[in-house]
Amino acid sequence: MISRAAVAAGIAVLMVVSSIGTYMYLGSRQSKVAAPAQLPTSSTPSPTSFNLPGTLFVTQGGAIYSLSAGRFHQLTPAVGWTQLAPYPDGRLLAVKRSLLYSDIYVIDRFGKVLRQLTHNTAAALNYDPSARHWSFYPRLSYNKKSIFMSYDKPKFGFDVPMSIWSMPVGGNINQGRLWSIAIDYTGGDIQPLPLRNGIIYTKYTYGPDCSGLESQLWFTGGPEQAYGGLRVCSPPPGDSHGRPLTRANEGCAQPSLSPDGRTMAMICTHRTQVSYLTLASWNGKTLGPRRTVVSNVLVAQPTWAPDGTGLAYLAPAVLGAGFQLWWLPKAAYAPPTPGPSPAAPTPTPGAPASSPSPTPTPSPSSPPVVVKPVQMTSNLGLDATSPIVWLG
Amino acid sequence: MAVLAVALSSAAGGFAYFLPAVQEAFDATSQVIVLPTPTPTPSPSSTGTAKPTPRPPDAFTVLLLGSDNDAKFIGDHILTQSMIIVRFNPSSKRVTMLSIPRDLWVPLSTGGIGKIDGAYSYGGAGAAIATVENNFGITIDAYIWIGLAGLVNVINAIGGIDVVTQAPVFDDFYPFDVGPGNPYRYLRVAVLAGPQHLDGTHALQYVRSRHNDLQSDFGRSARQQQVLLALRAKAAQVSAADLPLLAAAMKGQIKTNMSLSRIATLLPLAGGIDIKNIQQVVLLPPYTHGCGCPDGYVVPVWGAILPLVHQYFP
Repeated sequence: MISRAAVAAGIAVLMVVSSIGTYMYLGSRQSKVAAPAQLPTSSTPSPTSFNLPGTLFVTQGGAIYSLSAGRFHQLTPAVGWTQLAPYPDGRLLAVKRSLLYSDIYVIDRFGKVLRQLTHNTAAALNYDPSARHWSFYPRLSYNKKSIFMSYDKPKFGFDVPMSIWSMPVGGNINQGRLWSIAIDYTGGDIQPLPLRNGIIYTKYTYGPDCSGLESQLWFTGGPEQAYGGLRVCSPPPGDSHGRPLTRANEGCAQPSLSPDGRTMAMICTHRTQVSYLTLASWNGKTLGPRRTVVSNVLVAQPTWAPDGTGLAYLAPAVLGAGFQLWWLPKAAYAPPTPGPSPAAPTPTPGAPASSPSPTPTPSPSSPPVVVKPVQMTSNLGLDATSPIVWLG
Repeated sequence: MAVLAVALSSAAGGFAYFLPAVQEAFDATSQVIVLPTPTPTPSPSSTGTAKPTPRPPDAFTVLLLGSDNDAKFIGDHILTQSMIIVRFNPSSKRVTMLSIPRDLWVPLSTGGIGKIDGAYSYGGAGAAIATVENNFGITIDAYIWIGLAGLVNVINAIGGIDVVTQAPVFDDFYPFDVGPGNPYRYLRVAVLAGPQHLDGTHALQYVRSRHNDLQSDFGRSARQQQVLLALRAKAAQVSAADLPLLAAAMKGQIKTNMSLSRIATLLPLAGGIDIKNIQQVVLLPPYTHGCGCPDGYVVPVWGAILPLVHQYFP
């Protein structure tokens, strides 16, 4: 016969177990929203990543990672590295960001620092915040003789706009040339894309009527001339100030030119709070009609595969859960020449929209094959403000 | 008997789990507000005094208040750097957000005329609510106040937010006043442009900086609304089991006069509204204009503002 004491003890144990169990069960039901991003080196990319040619370089949490043959490798410690760009012989340009300033470095493909190109800090005892500078978005010029970058000079008290500068390779910023005249109180000009005959960059303006802050792709064939006079909301007409390639209300930024130099990839917001991956033909002077190939997500940093087989970009898989690497095969935006009567596909939110057919006669016998973007990573927190570098 | 004991102990386990959240909820909610008795003062000819108009029966209007509450300020005598009127309309599943410029020059409910951000400083939430009601002709049902650290902590507690920052934000004189140390220091900040994931600190920099924006406080208001929408999107992924963590993040940094039951009613509603049904309004010119004076206040054009307000807040 079981004694009362044993029963009581049993119930007591049950009570302890059930109360602790309930507490722990509830704890296990927490959502994963606050879970830190996984390190790329401890993640398993999509099997598709094995098929990607060459090596991709991305940043996360201040560290540079490479992705080749389906595996990530950490190249640097997490000490503020961001904003990569290709440099000859497999090397990279990279920005190292500190609390109060940032500098541009040349690193090799294994992450070893070879050279510091800018020196944007000030003496430790100089407490004037404006004595330091930011350098972002470095790019090597077409002729490989200079470095383009966004640099916060000149600045005017509270107004700290970025301007596009070029600096000789092997020189310093004092030998630099100012290429763009930033509009006051916009944040300025960023993301230079060097071309044979000038640069394309992202310019922030308030538009001709000063109505709202918008980003535009801008072209300039040489250093722009100062506007002079009063503050302006957008550059005055005239070739000496460059010219817009996109309309202000398109909100386009982050230009990326295809390896054959004939197609521009960019992101456009169209005054929404999402960004669209947009393609347009480029003839060396103007952009052609726009084609949205990925819509209604936060697309960032479109980057062409070196062999032209597709585009990589960053976007969250779930809103708020960090940016992942995506791959958009060429078939998604430039499908192979179809049969005699292809159907005109309807763009799908979050999926690529095939190019409009020149003969939009539906053909029930040959439904279009919609090629969707491939999510290459999960649970990462890739730096969406840092361009991807893809070397062949 | 044993079953009852186990059930009770399980309930106790659940109670222990949610206790911090419940404590914080009781501390933060159902705040008593005191409506000020104004001292009669002559009003300018362009006063915004207006009578409330009928509104949809189930509509609910909240005044969101955001404050610098760092060591520069004493007690609750703080300015509301951000004032956003949010109208929930459950029947139409629409939300309207209207940002009030912090420098708007209005008759204050506590008496006198001043910048609207001072109302809270003089008379707490009650004064801020009454000032908005008197000038805009809107009935405010409740308020939610959040401090600087509260915003940072909440965003961090939900793992950050994804936004498309509309332009680069560079500021060489950003106040370095959240956390210990001299609150009068400056920090250089650079929030880059485009789609990105922001933690609490950088989200605060994005919504708080105004030095590098031609539209100053107006541009900042638009950014604040943008971050609110991103917060809402992320909050939809939060589960009830996250409440203790969120409560710890909000500790002492959030106050509201809403009851817990009201919050429980509104949260699913807010999460279920399509972003396309959220109307954002910022009182840029011609609704306001500068004073051209050293005080830098913003003059309301009530003849334009009130029809707009009545349109969006019937």
